[in-house]
Amino acid sequence: MTTEYPFEVEKSTDDLKTVGKPAVRIDGLDKISGAAQFVDDIDFGPGLLHAAIVESPHAYAKIVSIDTSKAEAAAGVVRVATGADFPYKFGMYMEDRYIFAQNHVRFVGEQVAGVIARSHRDAVHAAKLIEVEYEVLEPLLDPRSAVADGAELVHPDLDEYVHVPWFFPQDDTNIAHWRKIRKGDTEKAFAEADYVLEDTYHVPRYAHCAIEPHVTVSRLDQSDRLTVWTASQSPHTQRHLFAEALAPLGFTHKDVRVITPYVGGGFGGKAGVSMEILGAAMATLVKGRPVKLRWTREQEFYNTYQRQGVVAELKVGVMNDGTLTAVEHKLYWDAGAYVEYGANVVNAAGLSATGPYRVPNITNDSLCIYTNLPPGGPYRGFGYSEFHFGLESHMDRIAEAIGMDPVDFRRKNAIVEGDELAYGAHMNPSGMIEAIDKTAAAIDWGVEETSDNPNTVIGKGLALFWKAPAMPPNASSASFLKFNEDGSINITVSGMELGQGYLTVMAQIASEILTVPVNKIRVETPDTDRNPYEWQTVASHVTWSSGLAVEKAAIEARGKIFDVIHEVYGFEDDSLYLEDEAVKCRTDASFSKPLREFVIDGIQTEEGTWRGGPIIASGKFMPEFTNAISDPETGQGGHPNVHYTVGATGVVLEIDTDTGRIWVRKAALAVDAGRAINPDLVNGQITGGLVQGLATVLYEDMRFDENGKMMNPTFTDYKIPTAFDIPDEIIPIIVEVPQPDGPFGARGVGEHTMIGAAPVIANAVYNALGVRIKSMPITQEKVAMAILEKSKTTEGAN
Amino acid sequence: MVIARNFEYQRPDTLEEAIGILSDHTGSAQILAGGTDLVAWMRDDAIAPDLVVDIKNVPGLNDLTMDGDTLHIGSLVTFTDIIESEIVNEHAPLLAEMADTVASGGIRNRATVVGNICSAVPSCDAGPVLLVYDTVVHLIGPDGARSVDIKDWFVGLRETALSEDEIVSHLTIDLGSHGGVYVKLMRYGGEDLAQASVGILAYPDNEYRIAFGAVAPTPIRSARIEDTLRGKSLDGDLIAEAVAMVRDEISPITDMRASAEYRNHMTEVMLGRGLVAATERLAGKGPDYGTRLV
Amino acid sequence: MNLNIKVNGEDWGLDVAPADTLLDVLRERIGTKSPKIGCERGDCGSCTVVLDGRSVRSCLVLAVEADGREVTTVEGISYEGLSELQNLFIENNSFQCGFCAPGIVLSATELLENNPDPTRHDVQEALAGNLCRCTGYEPIIDAVLAAGKEGSE
Repeated sequence: MTTEYPFEVEKSTDDLKTVGKPAVRIDGLDKISGAAQFVDDIDFGPGLLHAAIVESPHAYAKIVSIDTSKAEAAAGVVRVATGADFPYKFGMYMEDRYIFAQNHVRFVGEQVAGVIARSHRDAVHAAKLIEVEYEVLEPLLDPRSAVADGAELVHPDLDEYVHVPWFFPQDDTNIAHWRKIRKGDTEKAFAEADYVLEDTYHVPRYAHCAIEPHVTVSRLDQSDRLTVWTASQSPHTQRHLFAEALAPLGFTHKDVRVITPYVGGGFGGKAGVSMEILGAAMATLVKGRPVKLRWTREQEFYNTYQRQGVVAELKVGVMNDGTLTAVEHKLYWDAGAYVEYGANVVNAAGLSATGPYRVPNITNDSLCIYTNLPPGGPYRGFGYSEFHFGLESHMDRIAEAIGMDPVDFRRKNAIVEGDELAYGAHMNPSGMIEAIDKTAAAIDWGVEETSDNPNTVIGKGLALFWKAPAMPPNASSASFLKFNEDGSINITVSGMELGQGYLTVMAQIASEILTVPVNKIRVETPDTDRNPYEWQTVASHVTWSSGLAVEKAAIEARGKIFDVIHEVYGFEDDSLYLEDEAVKCRTDASFSKPLREFVIDGIQTEEGTWRGGPIIASGKFMPEFTNAISDPETGQGGHPNVHYTVGATGVVLEIDTDTGRIWVRKAALAVDAGRAINPDLVNGQITGGLVQGLATVLYEDMRFDENGKMMNPTFTDYKIPTAFDIPDEIIPIIVEVPQPDGPFGARGVGEHTMIGAAPVIANAVYNALGVRIKSMPITQEKVAMAILEKSKTTEGAN
Repeated sequence: MVIARNFEYQRPDTLEEAIGILSDHTGSAQILAGGTDLVAWMRDDAIAPDLVVDIKNVPGLNDLTMDGDTLHIGSLVTFTDIIESEIVNEHAPLLAEMADTVASGGIRNRATVVGNICSAVPSCDAGPVLLVYDTVVHLIGPDGARSVDIKDWFVGLRETALSEDEIVSHLTIDLGSHGGVYVKLMRYGGEDLAQASVGILAYPDNEYRIAFGAVAPTPIRSARIEDTLRGKSLDGDLIAEAVAMVRDEISPITDMRASAEYRNHMTEVMLGRGLVAATERLAGKGPDYGTRLV
Repeated sequence: MNLNIKVNGEDWGLDVAPADTLLDVLRERIGTKSPKIGCERGDCGSCTVVLDGRSVRSCLVLAVEADGREVTTVEGISYEGLSELQNLFIENNSFQCGFCAPGIVLSATELLENNPDPTRHDVQEALAGNLCRCTGYEPIIDAVLAAGKEGSE
C-alpha cells in the first residue's frame, strides 16, 4: 500500500565513494576566514541610501492621518513612503497583507511609513519625526476569545481574500483557515475505550533568533530592472511575490532579480517574504539608487514571522492492552494579524496532529485564528514542534494511567510502513521502531538513577516525533551542471545554504555519480537570473528534492559523456562507467579517458575533426503523486504530504528540588535520515536542532503585555542558549531506512531534530518530580513554583 | 540601530580637566568609562547627552592596589581586571566571584566596577558585594574630594549620591579575614542579569554581613538579619530563623525576569545556602569560589 | 573628529562622528566586514573584535574611543593562512551559517592565548557571550578543546 514513485532514480547504494561519508564542508574556508559575504557585507558605493521604518505603537487602531512634512524636511532625507504609495496586497498562500498599512494597523510594530535617507542615522532620525494619528481600537490577543461569538473581526473582508484551494476561511469570523480531519468514528471509539484522557496544553509564541538580522538592499536601475539582494531562504518565491505585488508598477518576473549570498541562519524566519517587500517597494521611489533596509534585533523579534502560539485541546482513547483507538485534537492557533504564510502551518499541523501513531478514529480541528499580535509563520518544525508538546505529554500520561511502560506503549502504537494516515494515504518506509529502541538504550531506559546530591533528583523521558514537508503539491527543484576545462564542475541550484551544509551535500551527490571529488565542485548560492528554479529552502525538503534535481543533472551529464565516447570510440553506453574522473569500459580494461581531456574541448576523431563539446546538463524534480485537494469536511481524498521523517528523543535530567534548576545530563536523538548523505552534517542537525528545541522548553518564550506589545524583544530578556546551556552529553543516532524516491534513499532531517525536545523535558520532569507541567516553557521558575505548590498540597493532605 | 543623534566627545587628560568640563555642562554631559551601559542606552534613546566625557585618558584611575588592609579600586578598573588580579584573588576572592558572573568576557573586558554602581540598576552585581564590604566611594568634584559610604550611595532606582559635576575616583575596602559568597540567580547558565542576588560576608567572631540585589529598587543591606545572626554560631535553626526573615526585608516586584513570589522564595534559598558556604569558606573549606550555588 | 587607528596592522586616519561606533567604522569606512551586526547591545558577540589585545563588543565602543589604538579582526589573523584553531573549526564542523564564526574564533583565540589548555568549563565561559543559533555549541567546544590539547602538547 505504499506510494508508487513514477520515476527512476539512482537505486544502487553499493560501494558508495562520497555519499554516506563525511566530507569537509565546501563553505568552511569562507566562513572561518571571515571572507564569507552576507548581504550586509556587500559594498554598494557612496550612492547607497538607507531606509528606516515607522511602526505602529498600537495592536489595533485606525490610521486617522499621517504627517510626513517634518521628516521630508529633515537633513539627508530623499523620500518618504506611506501606504498611499503602495496600495497593494500580497501573500504567500493567502493575500491578506499590505506593503505598508492601509487604513488600519493590526499589530504593534506594523509598518506605517518609511524614510529613505543618505545615511542610516538620518533615516532613523527622520522616521521619528513622522506624526501618525491613530484611533485606538480594542485588540484581540487571545485566539479562543477571537473565535467567541461577537468577537470583533480583525479582517472584515476575509471573504474577498485570494487564497490557495486547500484553505477554508470561515466568512464573518476570525478563522482564516480551518483544517478538518474526520476519520472513523471517534465518538463511538471514546465510548468503547477503556480509558480516555482529556486535557489542554498551552504553547506560547517563539522567535527564530537567527543571529543575522533580516537585511535587504534593493535597486531599481534606469532600465527598470529591480534587483534585490536579500538574506532569504526563498529567492524564487521572493521574486515571484515581488513581481506579483508590484505588478501594478509594470514589473514582470524577468524584470525582477533576487540575489541571495550566504544567509546567517533562517530556521523558517527568512522564508517567504516579510520585511523584504518594504525594501523592494521603496527602491522603486528612488530610481537608480540602492536602498538598504536592515532590521534591528528588536524588529527581528516583533516584525518578522513568529512561531505561532497554540492552545491544544486533546482527547485520546485507549484500550487496556495499550491500543490507541481514538484521537481528537483541537488546535486553536494564535496566527496573528496576517496569516499569508502561517495558515499553512495550521494546515500542516491539522493533517498530522495524531503524531506518529496508528490511530483508526481521528477528529482533528486546526483553526487558524486572526489576532492582533505579529504575523505568525514558519519556524523549524512548522506546527509539529508546537503540537507535539501536548501530544507526547499526553501519551506518557495515558501509558501511566493504564499501567504500561511509556516506551512499550509507543512501540506498540508507532506508525509503520503501510499504515493508513489521517487523510487516507499510507505511511512511507520508516525506522521508527529502531529509533525508539536505540534512543531508549542510549539513556538506559528502565534503569532508575538516583542522585548523590540530596538537593537533586533525576528523571528520564522519551518522546517521538514525525514531520512531513509542508509544501504546495507541485513544489519543485531544478539544477544546472557544467563541466570546466580541468574536469571540475560548477553547479547552480536555488536552494539556500543556511548553515545546514546544503551546498556540500549537493556536491557530494554529483560527486558520487560523476566521480569528481567534492573539492573540485563549486555549488553557487542563488541568483534568480542565473540559477534554476527552487521553490524555497524550507520544509526539510532540499536534500531530497533539490538533491534529486542534482542527481538527475549528474545522470544526464554522465549520459552525454558516454554518448560522446560511444560516438568516437564505438563502445556501447551500457559498457561504460566512470571511475576516478575518467571514463572506463567494462569490455576493454585498457580504456581510460580522463574527463578533463574532453568535457570542454571534445574528442578528436581519427580524421582530425572534433566531437562532443562542453558537457552541460540540467535536472528537475517535482513530486507527481501529491494532491492537496480533499473533502473540506473530512480531509479525506488527497495526498498532501510526500513522506514523513520520524524519530525519537530521550533525556536524562537532574533537578534541584529547592530551586527548580534543570540540568540536562544526557540527551539522545535518533532520526531516520533514509540515508545520511553526510553523517557529520546530520549529526550537526541533531545537535543544533536539539539544543534549539530544548531552549523553547527550558528558557525562551515571547511575552506580550495587555496592549499586545512584546515585552522582551532583546537577547537580554529572550534567552537563547549560550555555550553553558546545552546538555552535558548529546548522543546523535542516525537511522537509515531508505526513502524509495530519495537521492540514494535520503530524506530530510533539518526540522525534525527540535520537535521532540519540548515534550521530552515535560516527561522527564514528571518522571523526576511527579509534577506534570502542561504549558511551555518549563523554566526553572515554573518548576520551582510547581514544586512549592506540590509540597503545599501534600502537606495539606497530610 | 544606529545612535540616531549627534553629540560631542571630549577626552580630558587630567581629573581637573574632566571636572572642569563636567561643571561647564551640568545636566547635559555623561561620563564614559567602559561604555557598555552608556552606548546601549544612547542607542535606545534612554539617555541623550549632548556631551560624552571619556575619562579613560585620566591617569591613576586604573589602580588596583592594596595598602595595608585597604583595597583600592580605581574607577577604570574593569571586571576582567578584578578577575585576573592576584591581590583580589588572595584578599577579596568574593569580588572575583561576583565579577565572574557579570555578562560575558567581551563585556567584562570593558565594563568597570565603578560604572556598574554608577548605572545603579537594581540588579547590578557589584552592589550587594560592595555593600557587604562596607565600601567607601571616593568622589572628586569642583569643591574637592569627598567620600560616601556605600550604604548611602544607592539613593533610588538608577539614582546615586553622585552629583552631575563629580567623578568617582576610586573605591576603598578595608579587608580582614573573611569568608564570602555571591549567589546570583539567573534564568540559565549563561550570561544574565540577576533575577535576585545575595552577597554575604562571614567574619571569625560570628559576625555576618548580608545584602540583597534585584529585590528592591536598589541593592540593600539587611541589618535585621545581621543582628539576628550576630555572635551566634551558625546551625540549621539559626539559618531557618534568618531565612524566615527574608520576606520582611526585601520588596521584590514581578517583572519580565521573575515573579515577586519566585524572587522571595529563591532569596530564601540563596540566603540559606549562602550562609553555609560563607561560613565554610571562612574556615578554609566549602565550595571553591566561582561555584554556582543555585 | 579625527580617528587614527591601526586595523589588522594597517594605519587609518579618518574623520568620524562621535556617535559612530567602532563597529560602524570598521564595516562602513574601513571595509572590514567580519565583525557582524547582530544585536547592537552587547548581547550576541557577533561584533567581537580585539582592541589592544582584548576582545570587546565593537557595537558598544565609540570609534573615537579607539583613537590611537589597535584593532584585530578575523581577517587579520587569516592573512597568512588559517590558525590551528581555525583549521580545527573546519574539521569539526564548528559552524553552520557562519555568521557568529568570526566572533567565536576571536573569543576562542583570546582564551587559548591566556589559557593554552582550557577545561570544558573554561571554554564554555569564554564563549558564553557569543551566541550561535545553529550548532548547539558542542562542535565548537570540541574544536577549542582539541586546539588546547594540540597547543599544549
